[in-house]
Amino acid sequence: MSDRTRDRRRATLRGNLWLAVLALPAVAFFLVFSYAPMAGLVVAFKEFDISKGIFGSAWNGLDNFRYFFSSGDAQRILVNTLLLNVLFLAATLAAGVTLAIMLNELRGRYFKRVAQSTIFFPYFVSPVVIAIMLQVLLSGPAGSGGAVNDALAGFGLPTVSWYTEPGPWPWILTVVKVWQLGGYLSVIFLAAITSIPEDVYEAGQIDGASRAQMALRITLPLLKPTAAVLLVLGVGRIFYGDFGTIYAIVGDNGTLFPTTDVIDTYVFRSLRQIGDFGTTAAIGLFQSVVGFVLVATAVLIQRKYSKETSLL
Amino acid sequence: MTTALTSSLAKTSARTATRRRRPEAFTVFSVIGVTAFMIVCLVPFWMIVSGSFTDEQTLATTGYSVVPRPFSTAAYDLIFTGPTLLSAYAASVFITLVGTALALACTSGLSWVIARRLPYISRPLSVFAYIPMLFSGGLVPLYLLVTQYLKLQNSYFAVILPLLVAPFLVFIQVSAFRQLPEEILDSARVDGAGEMQIFFRIGLPLSKPILAVVGLFYAVHYWNEWFTALLFMSDIHKYPLPLLLQNLISNVSFSQMLPTAAEQSTPVYQLRLALTVVTIGPILLAYPFAQRYFVKGITLGATKG
Repeated sequence: MSDRTRDRRRATLRGNLWLAVLALPAVAFFLVFSYAPMAGLVVAFKEFDISKGIFGSAWNGLDNFRYFFSSGDAQRILVNTLLLNVLFLAATLAAGVTLAIMLNELRGRYFKRVAQSTIFFPYFVSPVVIAIMLQVLLSGPAGSGGAVNDALAGFGLPTVSWYTEPGPWPWILTVVKVWQLGGYLSVIFLAAITSIPEDVYEAGQIDGASRAQMALRITLPLLKPTAAVLLVLGVGRIFYGDFGTIYAIVGDNGTLFPTTDVIDTYVFRSLRQIGDFGTTAAIGLFQSVVGFVLVATAVLIQRKYSKETSLL
Repeated sequence: MTTALTSSLAKTSARTATRRRRPEAFTVFSVIGVTAFMIVCLVPFWMIVSGSFTDEQTLATTGYSVVPRPFSTAAYDLIFTGPTLLSAYAASVFITLVGTALALACTSGLSWVIARRLPYISRPLSVFAYIPMLFSGGLVPLYLLVTQYLKLQNSYFAVILPLLVAPFLVFIQVSAFRQLPEEILDSARVDGAGEMQIFFRIGLPLSKPILAVVGLFYAVHYWNEWFTALLFMSDIHKYPLPLLLQNLISNVSFSQMLPTAAEQSTPVYQLRLALTVVTIGPILLAYPFAQRYFVKGITLGATKG
C-alpha cells in the first residue's frame, strides 16, 4: 500500500521533471540574455578595455558615474526623460479614456468594430514608419515644407522649419504617442467599461440621466481603478524613455537634442559613436536601479490598490 | 420558429428604434469624435501610399495630393528590380518566421510549466520570468554579450535571440492555459497519457486562440524590429526592411543600394515612401483577419494576470 503511494509519488515527480524540460529553452534564454547582462553591469565600475574583456579590465571605482554626472549632459537628459514621459503618460491616458467612452456610445456594431480596429492599428506600426510619416507631414521632398507647412501657408500663417526648431518637439512627440497608443489604450479601457454591470446604467436611466451624464458620472468614476493601474505602471517606467520612437524620429539630429534627448538615446549614441563602454554602462546601471525602485514601488502600490485587476 | 424569432427580433429592434429615434447630443458628439480620430489615424497612411505613386518632381513642386497625379510606379520598379531591397525583404521574412516560431515554442513551454502549478517548480519559475520585467542589465552588457561572447554580428540570430521570450506574453499565456478545464487533462492522465503527450496532444491544440494572439504579437514585433538590427548588423546586404528604411531616413549614401547605375535622377524620396508601403504592407493585409485576436489578447492581459 505505502509502496504503491511512494511509487505513484515518484512517478509524479518524474513526470514533473519531464514537464520541466519544456521550460528549459526559455530558462536558458533568460539566463543568457537577462541574467548574464545583469552580471555584466560590473563594467560600470571598470575602465573598460575591449581586449581585456569585462572581467579582465581594471576597476576604477565610481569614476564613470562621476564623469557622467559632472558632464553638462546629465541634467539635460534626466529632465527630458522625466518631462517627456509625464507628457506622454498624461496625454495617452486621457486620450485612451476619452476614446473608450466615445466608442462605448457607438450603437452600430459594425461601425464600432471598424472604428476600434482602425484606431488600434497605429500601435502595430514600426517607429521607423512613423518617422517617415512625420517627415511627410513636417518636411517635404527636396526642401519643400511638408503638408503641415502647406496647410499653415494656406491659412496665411508663417511656416516653421520643424527639424531645426527644438521648441515644439515635446508636443510633436506627445501627439505621436497619442496617435500610436490612443487606440491601444482605448481597447483596454473599453474592456473595463464592458465589465461595468448593466443595471448601474438602468438605474441611471430610470433617474432620467442623459447619456452624457451617465458617461461622466458613472463610466468615468468606474474607470478610475483601471486608469490608476496604468498610471502607476507608467510612473514606474518613467525612467525608461521610449527609445525606439524617439531615436527613429530624431536620430542624430543634434539641433533637436536640447528637448528630445533622453537617457536611452544618450546611452545608445555614446555607445555607438564614442564607444565609451564604462560611462555608458554606468548610466545604464543608474537608470536600472532608479527604474527598479520606481517599478517595484509602483507594483506594490498597485497590488495594494486593486487586488482583482492586477495587470502583471 | 425562425419566423417567430425574426419577428420578435424585429419588434424589439423597432422598439429600440423608437426609443432612440433622436440620438442624444453626446452620442452625436462621440460619433464625430471617433470618426475624427479614425481620419487622423488613416491620413498619414494614405499620404504615404499616394506619395509613393506620385512622380517625384511633382511631389517636390506641388506637394501632396489626395489622388496621385501624375501616376508613377518608378519607385516600385526600382524596389522590385533591386537586389538589396529584395534581400532586405527576405531578411525580414526570415527573422519574422524563424523568430516567431522559436519564440512561440519557448514561451509555450515555459508558460505551460508555470500554469500547471507544480510544487517547487512553477512558483520559482514565474519569479524567474518576472524579475527581468523589473530589472534589466541595459544596453552595454547586452552589446558586449552579443558581439564579444556570442559573436553574432551580422547574423539574423542577433536580432532574433535577444527578443525571444517576452515576460509579459508569458503571463498572458499562463492565464490562458490555466483556463483549460482540469477534467480534460485528468481524463487524459487516466487514459495513460504522459505529461509530454498531454502538452502536445491536448494542451496546445486546445489553446489555438491564445497561440494565435501570442504568435501575432511576436510576429509584429519581429517584423518591426530595427533597433537590435541597428546595433548588430553592419552588412547592408543583410539589413532587414525597417533598418534599410531607417538608413534611407538618415540619408546615408544611397549609391550602393540602388539597383542600376543611376541612369537619371533616382526618385529617392518617392523610393522612401514606396519602401514604407512595402514595409507596412504585410501588416496592413493581415490586420483585418488578425485584429480580433489582438483585441482579445490585450483584454486578457489587462484583466487577468
